[in-house]
Amino acid sequence: MRKAEMWVALAFAFLGILVIADSIRLGFMWGMSGPESGFFPFYLGVGVVISSLIVFSNAFTQYKKEGAGKPLMPPGAIKPILWVLIPSVAMIVITEFVGLHLAAALYLGFYMRAVGKIGWVTTLLVSIISPLTLYITFDKLFLIPLPQGLWGGYLLRF
Amino acid sequence: MVENINNLMVGLNVAFQPYNLMIIVIGLILGIIVGVLPGLGGANGVAILIPVVVTMPATAGVILLSMIYWGSLYGGSITSILFNIPGEPWSVAATFDGYPMAKKGRPGKALVLSFLSHGVGALFGCIVLTFFSPILAEFALKFGPAEVFAVMMLTFSAFVGLTGRSPIKTVTSILFGFILAAVGMDIVSGQLRMTYGTVVLMGGFNFVVAVIGLFGLGEIFLTVEEGLKVEGISTKIGLKDIWEGVKDIIRYSKALITGTLVGIWMGFKPGGATPASFMAYGFTKQASANAAEFGTGVSPGIIAPEAAAHGAGTSAMIPMITLGIPGSPTMAVIMGGLMIFGLQPGPMLFKENVDFVWGLIASTWAGNILGFFLVLAFAPIFAAVLKVRFAIFMPLIIYVCAIGAYAVNNRMIDVYYMLLFGVLGYLFKKLDYPIAPMVLALVLGDMAEQSMRQALIIGHGSPLVFFTLPLALPLMVAAIIIFFWPVISPLKAKLFAKKG
Repeated sequence: MRKAEMWVALAFAFLGILVIADSIRLGFMWGMSGPESGFFPFYLGVGVVISSLIVFSNAFTQYKKEGAGKPLMPPGAIKPILWVLIPSVAMIVITEFVGLHLAAALYLGFYMRAVGKIGWVTTLLVSIISPLTLYITFDKLFLIPLPQGLWGGYLLRF
Repeated sequence: MVENINNLMVGLNVAFQPYNLMIIVIGLILGIIVGVLPGLGGANGVAILIPVVVTMPATAGVILLSMIYWGSLYGGSITSILFNIPGEPWSVAATFDGYPMAKKGRPGKALVLSFLSHGVGALFGCIVLTFFSPILAEFALKFGPAEVFAVMMLTFSAFVGLTGRSPIKTVTSILFGFILAAVGMDIVSGQLRMTYGTVVLMGGFNFVVAVIGLFGLGEIFLTVEEGLKVEGISTKIGLKDIWEGVKDIIRYSKALITGTLVGIWMGFKPGGATPASFMAYGFTKQASANAAEFGTGVSPGIIAPEAAAHGAGTSAMIPMITLGIPGSPTMAVIMGGLMIFGLQPGPMLFKENVDFVWGLIASTWAGNILGFFLVLAFAPIFAAVLKVRFAIFMPLIIYVCAIGAYAVNNRMIDVYYMLLFGVLGYLFKKLDYPIAPMVLALVLGDMAEQSMRQALIIGHGSPLVFFTLPLALPLMVAAIIIFFWPVISPLKAKLFAKKG
């Protein structure tokens, strides 16, 4: 936990430095018409660097005193989380090719069958009916176009 | 007073138009389902619906969004009490005594107590909303940029000083939110900021996407990590449960009042329903003669946090419509909905869009009263939603979240951002960084920066402008005191201890 705490604090501090760098490029002083573009972000960046360094040093002193403490995730938790995260990322990547609804159908089917161990009939019903309903609701009724990907337009033609 | 009641009547006419009434009922049912399902909360439930709402008339659209909030406030408690699974963060405190009471064989009574407390909290919130908002709006008409900025400082220092979370982490979270808001085109000078030469960052970060990721995916990761075990207690609400619930509410009216007041205060001063429910539970437990029995299923342990949660929810609307500063993350998303319709929340709303404002306030009354009867009548049916296997509704939630994130701006990159925010939300929760202030900073970022720049221009570059204007000065002083409250209060305690 404390190691993760320190890493996250360092990452924040790094982001803060990036922000400061860009604010300096934009100018953070008093310009021709009031404060320049980088004025507000500059102080935000400085603030983030300072506050995350304090978080870091707090965590570091605790780390020295009491060791690393509990792990960030309880043992065995990383697996189910990755089982959610990786298929979701895959769905979004597949969306780029076949569109969101088709990708979601694949994703629903995969997750329910492979991870949830749910019967074939339910899996097929849910993963066909729900994307279809949402497709009709959003794309047809409310006329909100959802991503079609490269080939989605050819595949879904009704 | 009389004028407000007249306005409320006008508003009720708007709210009870058949179309709007239909919207209210649909919104409430959707809201309760959103509340029941873990991983799909008020904030991201509202966020996902924003693209749909855009196709409706403004009043109906915003009513729908707010109904999701009221419904989810009621719905979150159902699963907390019956399954020990809080459907919402603000119903976590309901599990402390609600679940033990249900386990002891009185699930019906626990539900009735919870709904009644919700109802009372909501009613008082509505009363304050109806009679206090116009006064505040009138007052806020005098605000210039310096005052607007000072009010924001007050809001954010309340997060730092009064929520009891790590102050330094809260500050980090707020600053990070402001930074995310600043990415993209600078509205004043037109320069690109913090895009580092990339095209994807030019559009900046939309807070609706952030909310869907932080509250939706982040919550799902946490649920998955803890594992979801539904050990159902089946229930029916009988007349006896209702009778005993009413009796207990009257008997423990002190808990009810504490809860309601804490709730309304927390909703009003930015904090939201979640900290309000915990605070009210703590207060009531401390004040109680038999504090040791808390956690075993006592009535005041249900009444106080539930009244607080709903009181906070409804009164969070006050700063949103009068000042343009939302009192809770969900309210922030609803405010986003208003802005999409071109309605700028703030004092002018009361002057320019009378029908809209009072329609919304009246719908808050109608929705919360109707919601009470809905959950009372159909709680077992809503609870059955959770009988659906997690592996079925979880991927569906992620799918719907992806639709919501994409449809905000029709940009594919937002769906990737949603995933990133999901991981960030998980890390924030694990490391105890508060998420709500970051969301609020992201929402208010542009407005805060603009008002600060304008105020500085008025003051010819001197920050003293915030301390010399008569209305800004007390606000800034209050903000500073509240900001340093975690440092001041132990000092005060020491001083008094010495005297004693």
